Amino acid sequence: MKTGALVLVVVSLLLLPAAAAAAPEGTLTWAVHVSVAPTWFDPAETAGIVTPFMLLYAMHDALVKPMPGNAMTPSLAESWSVSKDGLAYEFVLRKNVKFHNGDPMTAEDVKFSFERYRGASASLLKARVARVEIVDPHRVRFVLKQPWPDFMTFYATPATGAAWIVPKRYVEKVGDEGFKKAPVGAGPYRLVSFRPGVELTLEAFEQFWRKTPSVKTLVFRVVPDESTRLAALKRGEVDIAYSITGALAEELKRTPGLTLAPTHFTFTTWLLFTEQWDPKSPWHDRRVRLAANHAIDRQGINQAVYLGLAKPAHNFVPSGMEYFWTPPPHAYDPRRARALLAEAGYPNGFDAGEVTGEMIYGGAIGEPVVNYLQAVGIRAKLRLMERAAFYKEYGEKKLRGTLHTGSGAPGNAATRIDTYAVTGGRYVYGTYPEIDGLFSEQANETNPRARQQILHKIQQLIHERAMFAPIIEPAFLNGVGPRAAVHGLGLVANFPYSSPYEDLKVKTR
Amino acid sequence: MKTYILRRLGYSLISLVLLSVTIFLFVRVTGDPAVLLVEPGASKADVDALRAQLGLDRPLWEQYVAFVRSLLRGDFGQSFYYRTPVFDLYLSRLPNSLLLAACAMAFSLLVGIPTGILAAVRVNRWWDSVGKIFALLGLSMPAFWVGLVMILFFSVYLGWLPSSGSGTAAHLVMPAVALGWYFAAAHMRLTRSSMLEVLGSEYVKLARLKGLPEALVIAKHAFKNALIPVLTLAGINLVIMVNVAVVVETVFAWPGIGRLLYEGITFRDFPVVQATVLLGGAMIVAVNLVVDVLYAVIDPRIRYGR
Repeated sequence: MKTGALVLVVVSLLLLPAAAAAAPEGTLTWAVHVSVAPTWFDPAETAGIVTPFMLLYAMHDALVKPMPGNAMTPSLAESWSVSKDGLAYEFVLRKNVKFHNGDPMTAEDVKFSFERYRGASASLLKARVARVEIVDPHRVRFVLKQPWPDFMTFYATPATGAAWIVPKRYVEKVGDEGFKKAPVGAGPYRLVSFRPGVELTLEAFEQFWRKTPSVKTLVFRVVPDESTRLAALKRGEVDIAYSITGALAEELKRTPGLTLAPTHFTFTTWLLFTEQWDPKSPWHDRRVRLAANHAIDRQGINQAVYLGLAKPAHNFVPSGMEYFWTPPPHAYDPRRARALLAEAGYPNGFDAGEVTGEMIYGGAIGEPVVNYLQAVGIRAKLRLMERAAFYKEYGEKKLRGTLHTGSGAPGNAATRIDTYAVTGGRYVYGTYPEIDGLFSEQANETNPRARQQILHKIQQLIHERAMFAPIIEPAFLNGVGPRAAVHGLGLVANFPYSSPYEDLKVKTR
Repeated sequence: MKTYILRRLGYSLISLVLLSVTIFLFVRVTGDPAVLLVEPGASKADVDALRAQLGLDRPLWEQYVAFVRSLLRGDFGQSFYYRTPVFDLYLSRLPNSLLLAACAMAFSLLVGIPTGILAAVRVNRWWDSVGKIFALLGLSMPAFWVGLVMILFFSVYLGWLPSSGSGTAAHLVMPAVALGWYFAAAHMRLTRSSMLEVLGSEYVKLARLKGLPEALVIAKHAFKNALIPVLTLAGINLVIMVNVAVVVETVFAWPGIGRLLYEGITFRDFPVVQATVLLGGAMIVAVNLVVDVLYAVIDPRIRYGR
C-alpha cells in the first residue's frame, strides 16, 4: 500500500512539468513566397499541391499525417487497423480532442469531413469508398467497394486533405463561405486575422491535444520578391524566409547569424524526348537518348543552382515516393556520350531543335542542361515560356522537340507513372506497349509486394529505354534568422515548410 | 454641347465593350487556370473537376454571356485563387494603390516641377546638367532595380526603413520614391520644355519690357501657362500609377492593384484579370471623358465644330 502511494507520488512528480507547461510566448514571423489563399483554411478544398499544408498543419489536424520520423503518424486517430479482406479500415479516435470553439471531436466529424471533401482525388476516393460507418463516437470504419492498396496513400498523406477533420456542427452553422472567413479546427494554432495578399496571424491554441505550443503568435507575411525576403530576414523583420535561390542563397550562407535550411519534397525535373516515337527523328535511337543522359553533369548543376543541397536524379519518380526504384546512375561521361552519338550515326552531332521549359526551373536548370547537351554535339536551343502558357501547350501536346518538365504532385510511383508514362496520361506524348501492359497489371494487384515488383519493373524499363533524362530533385532553400530556436524545416520528411508548429521555439529576450 | 458630350459618352462605352471582349479572350487563350491551381501532374479527373467547378468547361460564348450578365448586375465574379468576390478584393487593394500613387505623384511633382523650372531658367548651366542627369537616371533605371538598391541601402545597411510591407508612413517612403522617380523625370522634362517655349513667347517678352521683376515674370506669367501641359500629363500619369505599379508593388510587397493583377495573370485567375483591367480601363476612359468635356468647355471651336 505504502509503495503504491510512493509510486503515485513519483509518477505525479514526473508528470508535473508536462502538466505545468509554460504558457506560449513570443512571435515567429515568416516571409512567404506565395500569396496565402483562404481556400487553404479549409481542408475540403486541398488542391493536390503541397502549399496549403503550410497552414493545415497549423490550423487543423488529421486522423493520420506525416510527422517527424513517421510518414503515417496516428494523430487524431490513436490507431487504425485493416480487415483481413482489405475492405475495411477502422480508426480508433483519440478522446478529449477539442476544436478551437470548444466542441469535442467525434466520429460524426470524421464522417462529415470525408463526405464534404471536394479537393484533389475526391472523385477517386468517393468512387472507391462505399461508405463511412460510425461504430461508436470514437470509432470510424471506412468500407471500400473493393480492396485498394493505395487507400492510406491517398487518405493519410498530403496527396489529399480528406483525413483533415473539421467540426461538423460549426460548419453546418456557418456554411462553407463562413468557414473560410472564420475557420475552426483541431490544430495547434487558430486564426486571429487575415488580410488577403498581405498577412496572416495565428495564435496558439493552448488546449491542443498533443502539447501546448511554445510560441504564442505566428505571422505569415506575403513577400513575393526573393531579394526582398532576404533583406527582411537580414533586418530581423522576419525569422524564416522561404525560397531563396542561387546567388542569393550563397549570400545568405555567408551572412553571419543567418542559416541556410534546405528542405526536400517529392519533386523531380527531367527531359522528355517527344520525338522518340518518330522513326525519322534522331531521338528515335536509344543511343542518342542515352548520350543525352551521359552528357549532363547533374552534380555540377546541383552545385551551381542549389549549393550542392539538391539530389541528382536518375529516375523521374522522386526518391521519397513509395514504390520508388533506385536505378544505376547514368554517370556524367561526355566522351561516352560522343561515342554513343557516333555509333548512332552522328559523329559530328546533330541539330536538336528546341528544349522548351517554363521560366522558373527551365531557366535555372534548363540552361545548364542545354549547355551540356551542346558540349557533346547535341545542338539544342533553349526556349523559355511563361509557366501557364507552357503547361497549357504541354497538356495539349502542342510542344515539339525536347521538353524540360517536372512535377511536385504528391502520390506514389504509380500515380506519377500514370500521368507521365502511360497511354492516356495527361502529359504523355507516347509510350511503350510493355509499360502499358504492366501498368494495368499492377492496378489490379492487391498484394503490395507483387505490386511493388511490377512498379519497379516499369521504372526499370523506362530507365533502360532512356525514355526520359531525369535531371535533379531540386532543394527548397530557406533562410533562418537568429531568433528561431527551432524552425521546424526538414523535421517532417518530404515536406518543404516549417512543421510541426507546436514544436517550434523562439528565443525570447 | 449636349450632342458632343453624348457622342463622347458613346465612344467611351464602345471602348469599354471592346476592352471587355479583348481581355476576356486574351486571358483565356494563353493558359489554363485549372492546371495551375493543382500541381502539374495532377490526375485528369481532378483537373476536369476543377474546370467544371470554375465553369471553364462551357463554350466560350456562353462564358462571355454569363460574364456580361453578372457584370451588368455589378458582379465581377469570384476569384479562382482566393475564392472570394473579386470586387471585394479590388476594393481592399484600391486604397493602398491610391495612397501609393498619391505619394508618388506628390514626390514627382515636388521634385519634377521646381527642377524643371530651374533647368529652363538656367538653360545649359550646371543646374540644367544636374537636372538632365537626374532625368536620364529616372527614365532609364528600371523601377525594380531602384527599389532593390534602396532596400539594400536604407533597410539592410542603414536600417532606417522597413524593407517591405505596409501599415506605417515609413513603409511608404521607398515605394513612393521608386515609383515616382520615373514620373518625376518625365514631369521635369516636360516642365523644362514647356517653360522654354513660354519664356520665348511674345507676352513674356512684353512683361519683361514692362520692367517686371524676373521672378514675377517667371512665377506669374510663364509658370502658370507652362503648367497646363504638365498637369494634363500628371493627371493621366496618376491613373497609370494606380493601375500599373506592378513591379514596385511586387518588390516592396505592397498590397495594391498592380500586384493583384500580376497574381491574377500568373495564376490565370480570369475574374481577377478581367476586373482589374476593366476597372483600370474604366478609370482611364473616365479621365479622358472629363478631359474631353473640359476641352469643350474651354475651347468653343471644339464645342461648335462638330
